[in-house]
Amino acid sequence: MNYVLKKEVFSKFVNSVLKEKGIDFIAPVKSEQNDIIKFQKLISFSDLCLDKNAYYPLKEWFFKKNEVLFEFKGDKITIPEKKPKPKIFFGVRRCDLNSINRQDVAFSEGCWDPYYFLEREASTLIGYHCFEKEDNYCFCGSVGLEDHYDLMFYDRGDYFLVEIGSKKGAWFLKQRIRFFKKTTERLSARKKVIKNANRLQKKNIAPFYDHKNWKKGVDLCLGCTSCNTLCPSCYCFEFKDKVNISNLKNGKRIREWSACQLKDFSEVAGNHIFRSDREHRFKHRIYHQLQYFNEKHGKHLCSGCGRCIRGCPTRIDFVGILNNMKTKKPNVKKPKK
Amino acid sequence: MLRKQKIEKKKKNKKPVVGFYAITGCQGCLLSVLFNEDKLFDLTKLIDIKAFPFIKQLEGAKEFDVVFMEGLVAKKNDLKELKEIRAKTKVLVAIGACACTGGIPAFRNFMKEDNYKHLVYHKAMHLTDMKPTPIDKYVKVDYYLPGCPPDKNEILTFIKDFVLGKKPEIYKKPVCFDCRKEGNPCLLDSGKLCLGPITRGNCGAVCPSGGLECWGCRGPTDDANIKTMMSLLEKKGFDVSHIKKRMKSFVGLKLAKKGIDTYEQEY
Repeated sequence: MNYVLKKEVFSKFVNSVLKEKGIDFIAPVKSEQNDIIKFQKLISFSDLCLDKNAYYPLKEWFFKKNEVLFEFKGDKITIPEKKPKPKIFFGVRRCDLNSINRQDVAFSEGCWDPYYFLEREASTLIGYHCFEKEDNYCFCGSVGLEDHYDLMFYDRGDYFLVEIGSKKGAWFLKQRIRFFKKTTERLSARKKVIKNANRLQKKNIAPFYDHKNWKKGVDLCLGCTSCNTLCPSCYCFEFKDKVNISNLKNGKRIREWSACQLKDFSEVAGNHIFRSDREHRFKHRIYHQLQYFNEKHGKHLCSGCGRCIRGCPTRIDFVGILNNMKTKKPNVKKPKK
Repeated sequence: MLRKQKIEKKKKNKKPVVGFYAITGCQGCLLSVLFNEDKLFDLTKLIDIKAFPFIKQLEGAKEFDVVFMEGLVAKKNDLKELKEIRAKTKVLVAIGACACTGGIPAFRNFMKEDNYKHLVYHKAMHLTDMKPTPIDKYVKVDYYLPGCPPDKNEILTFIKDFVLGKKPEIYKKPVCFDCRKEGNPCLLDSGKLCLGPITRGNCGAVCPSGGLECWGCRGPTDDANIKTMMSLLEKKGFDVSHIKKRMKSFVGLKLAKKGIDTYEQEY
């Protein structure tokens, strides 16, 4: 069963959620200082910005930039007890919803990550559908997006059509049913297709690992890691022990973001660096996003949001580079992992 | 086992003897050590400070475990002092942009002597000046803590690591990484001459967070792509000589080594 939320009621709906105690309402907000759209705690309805996708991804709310894993006093370890506030995330685009799902996969693979899922379980994701690509950087139509949402809002002019995707979403809607009306309207899969967004034409990029065209992108790469830090799916991290100055036996272990475009990312004991040249690092990110993850889990890590190109200082369009590679003489060499 | 023994041996021994010294420079780097105000007492429990230019009572020591050296060699006396200290210490740490990369004083290398000498040394011609050079040209430097001024937390972390017998961690990530973590917009996109992509971070991207472009005071990263950076800035409409001036303002000599053409052609 789908629901309808009329646009006249929409502000009332948002305001009523904002007034609810014990819930944070997080939505894309445009900063007044620098015009950047970020997911932030919404304070008033007028701050809500749904015209464009957020410049910074949602991941920092779940996969924290600096997460204290535990504190130690000598040999004694204490894990900080956290009780995250329930959070409603509104206005999350389909690409971001998918990348959160990929992070769920990554953080539950092999070892279930309690720090990540503590935040994740406290969250309700309300999507906002794009009917058309936002700009020329988007390529979400090529990576096979799936439905991963609690609620999904479709803008239909005068009203929002609301689809329920999970029990959590249904529960959220049921509590605020006074704003919604039932409807029999359904959007067909064809209508849900995001138009003009299938820019990446290659389905399998494995044969192109040693292609000479990569050099165009590699030469332009500054190694600034914007692509990693802006990516909604990238989940690499590193650990640090920070000891207290008053007693060097005490301190805390912190998990921080890391980035595969950094030279020291693949540095191991004995100062050996596995990917010491920029070309391997550059290709590794793309192959991890579009091939290695797929081989392991059956879906792309990349969600095609285009942030890595939009935020790159030199705007390296790896999609264009891949499209221009000819299939006539596929290189037989297997890609290095 | 060996590592444990080493740590235990260190525990038994006295606190490491540490000296802070400054040659030509503004002494601002040593000031940023003092900016750790609330941690200074804890710091003195960890290390034995035997020399610090701001503390008159200290008389130095015959031998040091670590010496933090600020400033660069610009006078003949500097070189003499530097070599003396190097002979006394086990570990020499270059602290600040001047000691690590040349900093602002090294700007003199890019100018013709006749153009500035009458302005600066109008009467004081007795100064025995040398070509201003970062200290690693003359002595072996074990670690670098760059920045103008250096990050106070980085200095503390270094001391903690050293006391623990850990290999001090060298931060190799660019400023952009810190900047993106802070959630800033890209200043290059808003048309500013920002050197973040090629500059070493760990400063917490203080300048870009405040809207000021990165001037590259912490020196270039190991794999800085200077060629692409130059062409990017040129495409953004900056004058080549302006870009080069900016790039050289803190790290002139190190960048000259890295492939930016030599500096005599300008000024």
